[in-house]
Amino acid sequence: MLVIAALRWVDPRPGVDPLTGAVHTDPKASGPSAADECALAHALRIAGPGRCVAVTAGPPAAEGLLRDALAAGATDALRIDDAGANTAVALTAGIRTLGPPDVIVCGDHSLDHGTGATPALLAHAFGAAQALGLVELSMDGELTGLRRLDGGRRERLAIPLPAVCSVEPTGLRPPRASLPAVLAAQAAAIPVVTVDSGPSMVQAGEQKPYRPRPTHLGAPAGDAHHRVLALTGALTERTPPRVVRPASAAEAADELLDFLRKHGFLEP
Amino acid sequence: MTYPERDFDDRMSTVEFRVGDRPHITVDQDVCRSCTTQACVHACPANLFVPTAEGGILFNYEQCFECGTCYQVCNQEGAITWTYPDGGHGVVFRKG
Amino acid sequence: MTEFDVVVVGAGPAGSAAALEVARAGLSVALVERGPFPGAKNVFGGVVYGRVLDELIPRWWERMPVQRWVTRRSTMVLTPTQALTVDLRAQDWGQAPYNGATAHRSELDSWLAEQAVAAGATLITSTVVTGRSATGVRTDRPDGDIAAKVVIACDGVNSFLAKEAGLFKAREHNTLGVKETLALPRAVIDERFGLTGDEGADFEIIGCTGDIPGGGFLYTNKESVGIGVVLELDGLTAAKVRPEELIAELKAHPAIAPLVRGGELVEYSAHLIPEGGYRTMPELVTDGMLIAGDAAAMCLAAGIWLEGVNFALGAGMYAGRAAAAAIAKGDTSKAGLAAYRTMLENSFVLGDHRRLRDMPGLVLSERVQRRYPGLVCDLAQGMFEVDNAQPKPGLRKLLREARRTHGVRVRDLLRDGITAMRSLS
Repeated sequence: MLVIAALRWVDPRPGVDPLTGAVHTDPKASGPSAADECALAHALRIAGPGRCVAVTAGPPAAEGLLRDALAAGATDALRIDDAGANTAVALTAGIRTLGPPDVIVCGDHSLDHGTGATPALLAHAFGAAQALGLVELSMDGELTGLRRLDGGRRERLAIPLPAVCSVEPTGLRPPRASLPAVLAAQAAAIPVVTVDSGPSMVQAGEQKPYRPRPTHLGAPAGDAHHRVLALTGALTERTPPRVVRPASAAEAADELLDFLRKHGFLEP
Repeated sequence: MTYPERDFDDRMSTVEFRVGDRPHITVDQDVCRSCTTQACVHACPANLFVPTAEGGILFNYEQCFECGTCYQVCNQEGAITWTYPDGGHGVVFRKG
Repeated sequence: MTEFDVVVVGAGPAGSAAALEVARAGLSVALVERGPFPGAKNVFGGVVYGRVLDELIPRWWERMPVQRWVTRRSTMVLTPTQALTVDLRAQDWGQAPYNGATAHRSELDSWLAEQAVAAGATLITSTVVTGRSATGVRTDRPDGDIAAKVVIACDGVNSFLAKEAGLFKAREHNTLGVKETLALPRAVIDERFGLTGDEGADFEIIGCTGDIPGGGFLYTNKESVGIGVVLELDGLTAAKVRPEELIAELKAHPAIAPLVRGGELVEYSAHLIPEGGYRTMPELVTDGMLIAGDAAAMCLAAGIWLEGVNFALGAGMYAGRAAAAAIAKGDTSKAGLAAYRTMLENSFVLGDHRRLRDMPGLVLSERVQRRYPGLVCDLAQGMFEVDNAQPKPGLRKLLREARRTHGVRVRDLLRDGITAMRSLS
């Protein structure tokens, strides 16, 4: 049986520039989210003594996550170097090089604004059953999962194979790696598959400041004198502006309310 | 323009903590009840120690800076047992 | 069991320097770090002096991850309404071979550990050393025992290895450092501190901690400033003030407020500092083990100095060399490792500490902390106050008045002056 733990390499606390919204991530502090740690723990349990492969799509720095997974008990690891922006497509291409998977376990959604669509897209790509957002997952002859429902109810699912399961972060962690395993994982070679999943299928519009469209106003008719009067509004009747200097915030509020009442915006 | 000082919880929310399962601080309540100074309450920079109405100390270990101030200011022998959190857990400073 | 020639506990500056030297000597070395990456647990007062790296990493300044090169070094003396600053600007410090630099420890310590790994050391992160075993150290991982001929303990200010070995003779003397990192735009920092390009400023402050013996610091990163206070633990306990309130007071001081105004808190942090200096150092060598860095109280936090990383790097380097030499000779007993202490004594590490051994006590004394700041500020204010109609008062009169106001006896003033002169000469 081939069990895949598809893990996302992410900075749990990225810095966000308050002015520009630019996101700074730190590769040193990046790793799996709590949900992904949970996914790896489930994958290791389901695989038992069988083959369990930790897979991630990310830059070379993401290999640290894979080495940790190897140390914790994964039999092998695969890094997918993706030049594109479609994670599920890249993961599918990478996982196909390992053979037909029986179970793929993921975290429910990635921390970096993930929508949780990747497991569903993987299930579609492999023609597998999908069971998403599980709080329990166990392999006891058959694969069963437990899912939270509204109103405190739960539903227990019998999941046919092959399957893609995503798990919520429930605090389950992979077993603490032994020291010899950590050292072996440091020396292990991590195979890399290079793919290009293409530009993102979801196209967001370019970010621009708000610019309302101009409305077209016809030129006023008549001779030059009337046209100037019409354009400047010099002789039209209007409420003259009034400068008020209320002493306190309360008086300013009263002034505003009086104005609104006077012009019929508020009940008198 | 002046900005008000931040709320303490906001202050702590600027720090990353990878909380482990095992509490790395333990407090012997029997000793604390007889303690008159309770220095840990004021000295802990993360404000982890809170006196209770019964004279004991309520503590949490989750948002610990792992500085060691609490056990060094504690004048009651053995009231605070302090170890490092398990490997990989605990505070992660980015701008230290 | 996992076996190495040397195991270094703690991948801070001391540990990485030690592992680098051991690896370069061709021995196998494990560098064990309890954080998820080196530097994750570390906080400092902002400035690293890298001159000692000349011996370890040629042209280190081209590769070290620094924030700014310190070209402006100020010492401030504060009273609640006064500030007297000695402001040094040295443009030489802004170019190779440089002097001090501000840095983030997560970046600096990781880079130092990378140098050790590149030389052949094995970095083991997320692993706590829980104590010594008969053959080496125990860790908190399953099958976690590591056998090693020499253990180099660089496990920081709380050094459980040094405590377990009973190496501390005197009571530890630690101060608590708390720090806020405040984000400000680069242009604003440049303007407020009078800096251009990669230049940085570093302020050491005395008299900003009320009744608690200690000090303060303020330094510039690229796009943030670090501001904090250093507090003696006994004083903090007695004063019943919370550390973050003292930072807030410092930030509100009229001399500091314009520099940090509008800064957005991006990280609050705290760490202990082994401020006792030479007199509180533990024994540095025991059978099969060497102590370096904060674990050996190699921190010089004597008022106008705030150094530690440089001593850690130096001590680590000599520890690595001593361990490698002892293993080559086949004698890793206390006597075989004794060369470590000799090397430290002949270098700046113990040289500086021995010379300045009286400074920590002087700087943290009641007079320097609570009386002298007011004395010198009043003296300066009296010098420059124009009180026309009255002729200018003489310096002697001003000194006498200031001494009286602040209750300083001539005898104490002379004694402290002599202590300081003896330390500095």
